[in-house]
Amino acid sequence: MSEVVLSVQDVSIVYRVSRGQVKASQHISFDLHKGESLALIGESGSGKTTVSLSFIDMLPSAAKITGGKVLYTRDGKTENIFEFSEARMRDFRWHDCAMVFQGAQNAFNPVLKIKEQFLDTARAHGWRDKGKVIKRTLELLRLVRLDPERTLESFPHELSGGMKQRTLLALGVLLDPQVVILDEPTTALDILTQRAIIEVLKEMQSRLGFSIIFISHDLALAAEMADRVATMYAGEMVELGSTQHIFYEPLHPYSLGLLQSVPRLSQDKDELSSIKGNPPDLIDPPSGCKFHPRCPFAQELCNQEEPVFKEHEPGHFAACHFTENVIEARANLWKKD
Amino acid sequence: MIQSLSGPVDTRPWWQKLVQNYTLRTFVQSLFTVWAVITFVFFLIRLMPGNPVEIYVNYLMNTENLTYQDAYNRAASQFKFDPDASVVQQYFVYLGQLLRGDMGESITSTGTKVSSQILRYLPWTVFCVGSALLISFLLGMLLGMLAAYFRNTWVDNVISFLASIVSAVPDYIWAILILIIFGVQLKWFNVGDMRGTYDPATPPGFNLPFILSALQHAILPITTYVLGSIGRWVLAMRGSTTSTLGEDYVNIARARGLKQNRIMTAYVGRNAALPLFTLLAISIGFVLGGSVIVEEAFVYKGLGSFLFWSISQRDYTSMQGVLLIITIAVVFSNMLADLLYSRLDPRVRVTGDK
Repeated sequence: MSEVVLSVQDVSIVYRVSRGQVKASQHISFDLHKGESLALIGESGSGKTTVSLSFIDMLPSAAKITGGKVLYTRDGKTENIFEFSEARMRDFRWHDCAMVFQGAQNAFNPVLKIKEQFLDTARAHGWRDKGKVIKRTLELLRLVRLDPERTLESFPHELSGGMKQRTLLALGVLLDPQVVILDEPTTALDILTQRAIIEVLKEMQSRLGFSIIFISHDLALAAEMADRVATMYAGEMVELGSTQHIFYEPLHPYSLGLLQSVPRLSQDKDELSSIKGNPPDLIDPPSGCKFHPRCPFAQELCNQEEPVFKEHEPGHFAACHFTENVIEARANLWKKD
Repeated sequence: MIQSLSGPVDTRPWWQKLVQNYTLRTFVQSLFTVWAVITFVFFLIRLMPGNPVEIYVNYLMNTENLTYQDAYNRAASQFKFDPDASVVQQYFVYLGQLLRGDMGESITSTGTKVSSQILRYLPWTVFCVGSALLISFLLGMLLGMLAAYFRNTWVDNVISFLASIVSAVPDYIWAILILIIFGVQLKWFNVGDMRGTYDPATPPGFNLPFILSALQHAILPITTYVLGSIGRWVLAMRGSTTSTLGEDYVNIARARGLKQNRIMTAYVGRNAALPLFTLLAISIGFVLGGSVIVEEAFVYKGLGSFLFWSISQRDYTSMQGVLLIITIAVVFSNMLADLLYSRLDPRVRVTGDK
């Protein structure tokens, strides 16, 4: 595989609240390769956004990184992001790692023209040549299929939701970052606009060659966007594999449950099955495997011992004691359909 | 998929454009408001007990021991005012004068134009209240922003606590407190020396001694006005900044790696200050009125103290003049606020009226 851009190693983050510590993400490890897109899927509150925010030091003040490191490589030089100085981090943001947040509706300063906001971003990273910045901006706006000149001279409120989202994508890659984090980039957009955004994203990625971390709870979008998928549950990564692995050969009961909760057009089952129960309290999580109270395959061992996140087949990791039961169940399940 | 941004072409005929012109419409509405207030004021002040002649008659009877009849004759001959004339007739005469741009003559100071009286007092009030407003606005914004940036720390606690207290005390109470505590008790300044708008020994003119003297006499009322209004600015700016700091675009500006001072000025400051500029424009209207009680307390001869004097004399024409000026100022500064806001905030810019 190609070189590793971002190597996340054993990262744990807690939120300090009056009741104690919310263990928002625990022992997260994964590698992001050059030019790949990795999707993080999971329920709300499973720690997807928290992990991503830590890469650009944008965690809320109540959060604390309790361990681990994130190694970032550019031009053969590897540094630990968590040890960046403030100035280095400011430059790292957007220039090396851009994060496109969910809900772009309010992403732009309402009193500045789009042009000013592109120039602002470039200027903050030492791009002094105004003509060059404008030229690149126009190119990028064309790439996201907007009318470049008009968009440039618009105020944010003059753009529709989809146009704003595309403008934000263009802004995201303005400085040619290596990593682009997309946090639910298509929430609050209609299905046709979502489609257009995804196409634009893929085209941009193939042209510019950045790596994507794609955060979503829309499994269909993730399946379409990603090369690899990681399933998160209760602040832990429970399964990681290629898109094929996760969507067709899941090894973790939670991944399987997620898939069963999504309707398939090829299926005429009347009811979808949801995963019973609720996500656990992250201040006082269950012992052993955190998923065991909701897991149909749970046995006594799951309550006592935390399963190891290990490689079951090349490139396919999962944290479950009884993956063979899951394999059997999914075979029966999908035979019936 | 190119999306068009331009609106439809304006095809309205010229007269429709004129009628629908936003600025023009606001202007006509403002004129109507001014007329309504003038009319209201005209009749209201004549409903006050007593009239200029009666007040002067009482004064003459008390000071010069004249009989009522003698005093009345003298008063009537001195004043160009007939207390028995029909009020409605007076009203139309007054409106006619106003349309010609004439505010009439003072009733009690025969031969003096109301406009020249106003011109004599107005600059002092504008100078004094205007500089106070400016100081209070700028300082208040600064402190409010500081409190918002350091919210829930001791800096915020101290600023917010003081601002709440200060904003709860009206300016005339500050006037009295300043006079009594610093003037009378602590004797930091001589109360007598601070009266008036400038030292009579320094003739008015564009020279240093006069300017210093004007400043010296204005400092107490200015302090009073600032104390009376700064709390409001601090709290408004603190609230506005706090909510702006939570906006997505501020967070994203940080994620974009912008420098802190660029975010503070162009992203937070500019958006947080927007609602305050409207408040400022409205306050400008009240500058002209000054504060009657504060000017009285410091014997500062501005428009407020002139209004007080003309009310006590029942000098109808002077009162009308001052109130007309204040009305115009308030109404048009409101209009200004509207127009200013649309200049500052692109979102409310009215289309087809650039």
